Amino acid sequence: MSAALPSARAAHAPLVHCAHCGLDVPLRQASPETEPSFCCAGCRQAYALLRAWGLDDYYVHLERQDGRGVPARVTGRRFSELDAADLVGHEVTLLPNGRARAALYIEGVHCAACIWLLETLPRALPGLASVRVTLPSGTAEVEWDPAALALSAVARAFDGIGYPPHLARPEALAIARRHEERSLLQKTGVAAACAMNVMFIHLALYAGDGQDMSPRFTEFFRVASLLVSLPVMFYSARPFWISAWAGLRQQVPRIDIPLSLALILAFAYSVGATIMGHGPVYFDSLCGLVALLLAARYLQLQAQRLALERTAVMRHVAFAEFARRLDEDGTSHEVPVAGLVPGERVEVCSGDLVPIDGIIESGQSSVELAVLTGESAAIGVAPGDRVYAGSSNLGARLVVVTESVGPATRLGGLLRLIDEAMQQRPPFVARADAWSRVFVWVVLGCATVLGLVTLALTNGNVGLALTRVVALLVVSCPCALALATPVALTVALGRAARLGIFIKNPNIIELCGDVDTLLLDKTGTLTEGTVRVHSTYGDAAALGLAGALEGESSHPVALALRRALLPPLHAVHVMRAVSERAGLGITGVVDGRTVAVGNARWLASLGTVISIEWQARADALAVAGESPVFIAIEGELRAMCGLKDPLRPEAAALLSTLRGANVRPYILSGDHRDVVASVARELGIASADAHGEMTPEDKRNFVESLRGACPQSRVLMVGDGVNDAAALALADVGVSMHGGAGAAVLAADVVLTQPGLAPLVTLWVGSARVMGVMRRNLAFSLLYNLGASGLAIAGLVGPLLAAVLMPASSLLVILSSVQGRTYFKRPQRRVAPQQHAAEILWRHERKS
Amino acid sequence: MEVVFILLPLALLIAGIMLALFVWAAKTGQFDDLDTPPVRMLLDDDAPQDGRR
Repeated sequence: MSAALPSARAAHAPLVHCAHCGLDVPLRQASPETEPSFCCAGCRQAYALLRAWGLDDYYVHLERQDGRGVPARVTGRRFSELDAADLVGHEVTLLPNGRARAALYIEGVHCAACIWLLETLPRALPGLASVRVTLPSGTAEVEWDPAALALSAVARAFDGIGYPPHLARPEALAIARRHEERSLLQKTGVAAACAMNVMFIHLALYAGDGQDMSPRFTEFFRVASLLVSLPVMFYSARPFWISAWAGLRQQVPRIDIPLSLALILAFAYSVGATIMGHGPVYFDSLCGLVALLLAARYLQLQAQRLALERTAVMRHVAFAEFARRLDEDGTSHEVPVAGLVPGERVEVCSGDLVPIDGIIESGQSSVELAVLTGESAAIGVAPGDRVYAGSSNLGARLVVVTESVGPATRLGGLLRLIDEAMQQRPPFVARADAWSRVFVWVVLGCATVLGLVTLALTNGNVGLALTRVVALLVVSCPCALALATPVALTVALGRAARLGIFIKNPNIIELCGDVDTLLLDKTGTLTEGTVRVHSTYGDAAALGLAGALEGESSHPVALALRRALLPPLHAVHVMRAVSERAGLGITGVVDGRTVAVGNARWLASLGTVISIEWQARADALAVAGESPVFIAIEGELRAMCGLKDPLRPEAAALLSTLRGANVRPYILSGDHRDVVASVARELGIASADAHGEMTPEDKRNFVESLRGACPQSRVLMVGDGVNDAAALALADVGVSMHGGAGAAVLAADVVLTQPGLAPLVTLWVGSARVMGVMRRNLAFSLLYNLGASGLAIAGLVGPLLAAVLMPASSLLVILSSVQGRTYFKRPQRRVAPQQHAAEILWRHERKS
Repeated sequence: MEVVFILLPLALLIAGIMLALFVWAAKTGQFDDLDTPPVRMLLDDDAPQDGRR
């Protein structure tokens, strides 16, 4: 018998690439040489549509990018809720030329080829006037002719080529933020332009200083620079005045209070000197100061908005927004979820998210609850079973009677938990801000003392005392200090975003370096999140028949078996009497032979005897973390394969890097204990630190107890599911993986939009470097301020030296921030994309 | 030297016009998205065929 069991062989050998997205297609799933191959049905449909519409230049653009697409996700929805009349005037604007305009969030927009494709769509879709994509936020503004085309048709076109759209609802907060940003940019521009002109005028003053310039010229230049700096003081610098005034009224010490005081004093003194015709003027330094501070604030605001906009998209992607309501006569209508009431019947088609909590009335299927429990296995459901909102229906159509909707669902409860956890986060004190506040008060104190001492020493020479005090205030204005952190942060945030790391909360950069505890989710974080056939044993012919039989099912296990077991050039199989039992297996007659594929219990119930040898092998597989699937032909056990959600290839390297940095890794998973234990063993994590079968509440409590036990320790949590979200929100640093569920993205501080664990290392190393750059900047600016203040107290600083020192120090801080290598991509091994023969032929034809 | 009495206001006037243009651009949101336009302009209406490049 043992001779009949050939040794394990590699089950998948990727050689062919998907004609749409370029991902590997297992050889067994590849099409014959003359036809393109696809990794999934979505890609197949998108490819066909693009060719039919004559938009296949997309692939040329994609290839120029670097040939990497993403699998097309096609929902196949009708989008009929987009045609509702009450949208007009709110989300949909009617234009005077008879067209209509709306903003859509588009899933999957990630590169230049996507922009090209979406913006060229009007060529293929008569009635669609224009599409304008905004890459950073993943939104598109569409204009169409409502007489010729419905918005739902536009949405279906987007969906059909793999970009499911969601209607963007204009949020008051986002609009206000954008407005503030534009207004700040205008103020910055005005301040910068005026500052440069004042500097030119002052250059003439400085040049003429020692050369007996005629007083009428001096007077003219001084008045001119006073006039040019008026817009800076009365328009550009207003944010400082407003914030300082608010701080005074609420009695909150803000850096803007002493800053405003220094600006007003120095400006008033300079105006006085201009009118009196003698004494130094500091218009150039003042304008430069305002311009630089505003620029830093603008950059910071912009970087934060980009990170926030990116995650706002996820709010729409995460949860089912619509449901198919079944009416009395059996017809279904797409309605918004919020409009459902308990007792109404809802249809959940294969591949849909379940929109509500409810009881199944009819239909048998399997649902995946991974978003709620983190368990990767699908669960069989039958009439009378309860299904939860957020789970996805993998099998046949279900009819569900609504029990609860929205916040009342289990998912809604989980989201509330996340919100609460986010409010519990310890408030972070901006250290640099605190420093500069202290520093500025010290400077103000020094200035007062300096003024009094000068008065006393010179027997009440008010003019000289004021000159000294103003020189000190101008030269020690904490410009470099105020720039030191925002500029370094802004540059770093921008770099990280370009690498697909969106840092929503810049405070975590400081925390990242101190992390000593790492909590990892298993499914989708350490593993790839999809099951694959890992090993096969037994008769090759039996495996082939099993692959053919699984072609009849759309269950994820069936998909994995079909991909791995069905040869690319297979004969047409004749199927009869196929029946699937959710959660157990499938039987059918293939080419006249009865084939059964499933778990041990299922095969035993069909009368197949499982010998001790097979059972031993199955046990060995289970220990290795694989789930055994048995294959019987004519009632006799002939083959077996082991299914596994494979570890990400870079997981081991990540853990060894982190262990080198004295970080203790834990695994928190909703998956079965044994599976978690085998993953932990493979990664060398202590079995006591690998926790399986955890509910979302367990994960959250685990983070809370860790923080309670050791308040100094810093916890970084990495996850991707709704079940991780509450823990992500509560952890010091929460990182949501690529493709994470919407709730996880909302709760996390950092959102990764590139697949794999490599960005995590980039984040880790990069954050430490950002802190280094910030420390360097702070040290330099403090040193500068101390030195300059010393010179000013000694009475050595005139307007010329102040005008040189101030911008020079700020410039140095900016250069230091830009030059610092913070977040960067580590070199990666790249697999040369292999083109499918038909693909090459087709491109060749296009060239000639 | 008296020419600066005319030249300086003239220079400031030109600078003021430039500044007004900038403020207009900022007000109409032309600086909102600095990432998409540089990519968009690289994309031709029809991708050039490799043979003609």
